[in-house]
Amino acid sequence: MDGETFEVIEGGLQTTVQDLGRPGYLAIGMPTAGAQDPFSLRMGNLLVGNGAGKPFLVGDEPGEAGLEILLLGPTLKVLRSTVVAVTGADLSYKLNGKPFPMWTAVRVSKGSTISFGRPIAGARAYLCVAGGVEMPLFLGSKATYVRGAVGGIEGRALAKGDILKTGIPKLSLEEIEGRTLLPKLIPQYTNKWDVRVVLGPQDYLFTEEAIKLFLTYEWQFSSTSDRMGCRFIGPKLIFKPRPDYLVNQAGSDPSNIVDDTIPVGGIQVPGGLEPIVLTVEGPSLGGYAKVATVIISDMSRVGQMNAGDLTRFRAVTVDEATKILRETEKILSEDSIVKKSKTR
Amino acid sequence: MIYKEPVFKPAGDVYVIVEYGDELNLLLNFRVIALNEAIKKAGLGGVTETIPTHRSLGIVYNPFKISYKDLVSKIKRLDKQLGKVGELPSRILTIPIWYNDPWSQECAKAHGAPDNMEFIAEKNKITVEKVIEVHSGTLHWVGAVGFTPGCYQAVPLKPSFVLSAPKYPRPRKWTPERIICLAGQLTSAYPVNSPGGYQLIGRTPLDLYDPMQRDPVFADSPVLTKVSDRHKYVPITGDEYKEIRKQVEEGRYKYQVEEGIFRLDSI
Repeated sequence: MDGETFEVIEGGLQTTVQDLGRPGYLAIGMPTAGAQDPFSLRMGNLLVGNGAGKPFLVGDEPGEAGLEILLLGPTLKVLRSTVVAVTGADLSYKLNGKPFPMWTAVRVSKGSTISFGRPIAGARAYLCVAGGVEMPLFLGSKATYVRGAVGGIEGRALAKGDILKTGIPKLSLEEIEGRTLLPKLIPQYTNKWDVRVVLGPQDYLFTEEAIKLFLTYEWQFSSTSDRMGCRFIGPKLIFKPRPDYLVNQAGSDPSNIVDDTIPVGGIQVPGGLEPIVLTVEGPSLGGYAKVATVIISDMSRVGQMNAGDLTRFRAVTVDEATKILRETEKILSEDSIVKKSKTR
Repeated sequence: MIYKEPVFKPAGDVYVIVEYGDELNLLLNFRVIALNEAIKKAGLGGVTETIPTHRSLGIVYNPFKISYKDLVSKIKRLDKQLGKVGELPSRILTIPIWYNDPWSQECAKAHGAPDNMEFIAEKNKITVEKVIEVHSGTLHWVGAVGFTPGCYQAVPLKPSFVLSAPKYPRPRKWTPERIICLAGQLTSAYPVNSPGGYQLIGRTPLDLYDPMQRDPVFADSPVLTKVSDRHKYVPITGDEYKEIRKQVEEGRYKYQVEEGIFRLDSI
């Protein structure tokens, strides 16, 4: 069964092989990489009968690899019959030129063409395939990390002429075909977002008014965002005055701290301007105050934002965040999937 | 400031940060490194990884396996058991540097910055030659690793051999790999081409990051340096740089690594 499944006719804007990444190496500065929207990748894997992995960052299973597709998707020629599911952003997914259902495992036969068109909602689609995309492991993961030139296809995005192999499916293609996510569980992407955060670790360096402003303003997603970090445009956040020794040691800007750990999801505010949510390829160490940290469950929302979208950050407690993570995990199960008899 | 008791802070829902203080101080870094080792030794269930920095330890945990509250109380206990931390195992890595190299100069120029070495000399009221003498005249202690793979931050160990310089007012878009840099009082490096704001002082012919892990020095990890290493920077000429780089590329270079112990009271 193992073999060549897709030929890349066009790579698209930025299509990379991603699983849930390689946690465990943050202390050497190696970011996890992996899907910027882990929920959609995991659900796609579940739909095609693959291992969906454990929660991003803290789980010990990266799950199978799929394709992360940013805005303008690739064109793929199917070299042998298989089953795929496309989840995440609506990027006008087509099979042989005809629109196709998302969040559903669909049979694609040899010789057919998978393509994408205009981005409709969300930023990143995930194409998962029965058996998963086969790639050599680097530090336990297949995830592409372009800056570090590792993972995926030679550490780079898909390009014309690449051949993708896939692994052996866990179930027969007949069993996988037609599996679909319960419609009420399909995430609805609009241009307004609610992102839950835990305040800190350096919220105490900001004025009370700044914290209030941070939690009430509708922040605009900036086009200068990528897999390292996502910027948000809005008013300046003001810091409290600092003691002299910090001015000397950490730097003259009021947002400077002596470098410490940047969590995935940490929100740095250099100079008090344009909060940056550090994402899956973000730095692990940095010298700017972090006003808050996005909860793990909501990193998937950040991964689907487009330039101009509006976001409100809402503070929750650690206990509330854990409860949300538990609910998210519950959705990522067989109970959320039904089998339709026919998909074509 | 050194805190009387370590301060625990959540960073989102899967990290706890243990902070010993907010300043750059080897006492804090020693405690961080000792706590990190204690956590690894204790094999705390639910802890998935730890990230030491100059003054704090980042701990990633699986909230389904251990709650924030339980984790904090377990770490408090480990911290109490540490006692006084006066010495740590520490390797000495010899790192040749072509100071004031053409790539650094070109990169600074391309970003509209003044000559970085002259800028540092001016800020410290010494000559460029003296900057090199001061920088290579002391061992540097690696207090934190991170930012990009293999990137580190090191502090000079001889108190009279300290240079300082501000970061770029506007960060650069790119920096060639293997450039050594300085900001505040910290020495750092760009193991991979990346953006950054530190002043560029030279380039090393050694690999700081090798994802292929070709040389035995990378056998355990794809990055050269780790927290608690000491660096010995050795000035080399352009010709020496080229020769060493050739040896590194051909796998003939022998990285110089010396095992040892570093005592705080030896400063």
